[in-house]
Amino acid sequence: MTSKPLPSLIAVIDVGTHKTASLLGQIIDGKARMLSFSERRTDGVVKGTVTDLEKLTQCVHEVVNDIERGSGRAVEQIYLSLSGPAAEGERVKGFVAVPAHDGKVTAKDVTEAIQSAKRLEPPAGRTTILYMRQPTMLDNRPVSNPVGMAGKRLEVNFWRVTMEEGNMRMRVGMVNGMSIKVRDFILASHAAACATASDADKQGVLVIDMGAGTTDWILYYKEHILCAGSIPVGGEHLTNDLSVALRISRETAEDLKLRFGSAMHRENDVNQTIWKDGDKGVGDQQFNRGTITQVLSLRYQETIEFVRKDVLRRLEAIFPGHAVKLDQNMIPSGVILTGGSASLADAADAVQVVMGLSARVGIPNFENESLRKPEYAGVVGLMTAAITDAPPPVRRPRGFLAQLKEIFRL
Amino acid sequence: MSTPASILLVGLGGAGCSMVTRLSAQLPPEVAVALLDTDARSLSAGTAATLQLGRAQTRGMGTGGEAALGLASAESEEAALRRLFAGVPVVVLVTGLGGGTGSGAASVVAGYAAECGATVLSFATMPFSHEGERRMRQANDATVKLGQKCHGLVVVHNDLLLQQVSPDAPLSESFAAADNWVGGALRGLASAFAPGALIAVDPAALRSLLSTPGSPTLFAYGVGQGEGAALKAARAACDCPLAHAPGAVAKVASLFVTVAGGSAMTSTEAFEAVAAIRARFGGETSTVLCARIEPTLGDRIEVSVLGASLPAPKPPAKPKKGAKAEDPAQPIFEFATEESMRRGLFGGTPMTFIDGQDVDVPAYIRKAVRLPPAP
Repeated sequence: MTSKPLPSLIAVIDVGTHKTASLLGQIIDGKARMLSFSERRTDGVVKGTVTDLEKLTQCVHEVVNDIERGSGRAVEQIYLSLSGPAAEGERVKGFVAVPAHDGKVTAKDVTEAIQSAKRLEPPAGRTTILYMRQPTMLDNRPVSNPVGMAGKRLEVNFWRVTMEEGNMRMRVGMVNGMSIKVRDFILASHAAACATASDADKQGVLVIDMGAGTTDWILYYKEHILCAGSIPVGGEHLTNDLSVALRISRETAEDLKLRFGSAMHRENDVNQTIWKDGDKGVGDQQFNRGTITQVLSLRYQETIEFVRKDVLRRLEAIFPGHAVKLDQNMIPSGVILTGGSASLADAADAVQVVMGLSARVGIPNFENESLRKPEYAGVVGLMTAAITDAPPPVRRPRGFLAQLKEIFRL
Repeated sequence: MSTPASILLVGLGGAGCSMVTRLSAQLPPEVAVALLDTDARSLSAGTAATLQLGRAQTRGMGTGGEAALGLASAESEEAALRRLFAGVPVVVLVTGLGGGTGSGAASVVAGYAAECGATVLSFATMPFSHEGERRMRQANDATVKLGQKCHGLVVVHNDLLLQQVSPDAPLSESFAAADNWVGGALRGLASAFAPGALIAVDPAALRSLLSTPGSPTLFAYGVGQGEGAALKAARAACDCPLAHAPGAVAKVASLFVTVAGGSAMTSTEAFEAVAAIRARFGGETSTVLCARIEPTLGDRIEVSVLGASLPAPKPPAKPKKGAKAEDPAQPIFEFATEESMRRGLFGGTPMTFIDGQDVDVPAYIRKAVRLPPAP
């Protein structure tokens, strides 16, 4: 899917449970310059699952219209983010026995191994959305480029993301409805990582993208994606817990969460009384800040704990029989926390406590100041991922002379 | 009343029977007790009338968690159940949902009781979050069915019980909290109809309050002691976890408030308590007050609150209420079930299970953490 050369215009859409954001960028020398940006409240998605396709489609159309109007350019194809439990990932492998005559791996061997990996059928009713390259192994040793190396058994690995067919068709159809093509899907957690983690980080880093409806995570090891997953719990659950505990509306709960919330509950919070409006007028209510931080910290830390368990579960599936530990050795760069819910006060502290790893809030690396917030890591990262994941443009030698040159260079 | 007992307390299933057995010691004489279970062992205790369900289906062994078996067991005893409910004005059904007998038989038993003309009020306990997905689903399904059959349904979450006691308290203590609530409600109800109340009501008042099956039922209970006991009790009732179970009805149109206290209780105190309850729960359309002196209470005052909102305007031509044979075509309304009670904004969305827990239920409830008090 990614063999086509990169166009000079890239449009990306990040459909989240809470909001849908879209970014249009012009690619100059492999870097994106923002032409226009739009975000709108998402309708029709609950807990990362589409519940009202019509509303969602309309919402997607609106953001596309926005970026077209904002830039004066027509969008022909877009990159679409993929998040939530609907996109299920697993590791697939392909083997090839290196022919014995000189025992050296050729490009053809690699292609064959890749083909054998991709021949594996996804589970019934599901369709493959994307493959992400994982370390290539030559005789059980990881190698970055096996071509020309001596060995017997070549193994290539991919992280394959599949989705239920109907669900995929629905998402594509949503965009096709306005005669725009989905150029590619990009895993939302991968996008978030591209926006916030450096190449050095990717030696070992866990990126947790905590949105409104889902918490997606991805683990990089030695520059490759090792595994990824999603927990159907997000910022909405924080709001819900608060609204249930204090018996207040969703809006009030959301407001209190942002103003007084924390992912850590501290003894001293219990002694603080806070006012809902602050004017102590009619309808103002007072709350114990300890209740707010208690409720939020329990949910936040539980969600991170779910992530920790999910990571371990998937690692055990990949390395059966090995006692895998999430520690400084395996994940030297620790945890990067992104997404809207990363903005909750003390979020990084809570992650540090639960994971036992260093943690920081990831700010997307982007030229435009207004998008340098953890909640925009997804949409900014889609742009970054679209640029970096595409192969460099191949200049095909044209004309007879060029072909001759090519031959002589060989 | 032609029958000596104005209230029949029915324990259904293992959990229901054990709760009713525990309660039966502290009940006023106006309450008759019956135990129903498929498991013969639950039925051996004490003076209560007992009825073994599904002798043919289970041979006295219980249902092993199969709701379908529980349902069939209850249906097979239809005649005996109808005899049991005949002429009883108020039936209070206590059952634990999640298992086989409670989940399967509750709606059937409640249905028979309602058809026999009784006003049916059910207390159903929901399984702990840690009991896993199957029991929770079974309990949820049962709540919906039960809500359509009985006039009032109060759902007691076991998770909430855990929050009431300190983390290192023995399990029996948290069950004692549940006994307290249900027991308090029963004492309140029973004493309301008994002769000798300061302000007396009759079972028909309860009936008119709970006339519409499927309307959300509010229930709260509180005790106060010493100086200003009535207000303390009212405040305790306002803070009763059952009343503010997540998403529970915040305000209701009609209230039924029972205030019971020692001989020192004055009617001023009783009215103070009622005013506090009304300020919290509403009761604009009607508030039925019952006050009663119970010398054994000493300086303690108990307040129990039942409330309901009529979800829709009444049909214009409503048949006159008779003592028997309630209109079978009663309108059935969507019940305020487990969903909206605990899942808040996620009520109505499919449940999401991780490690066997419905993660849409707030974490503090599942982890049974007691929250700091409100300022």
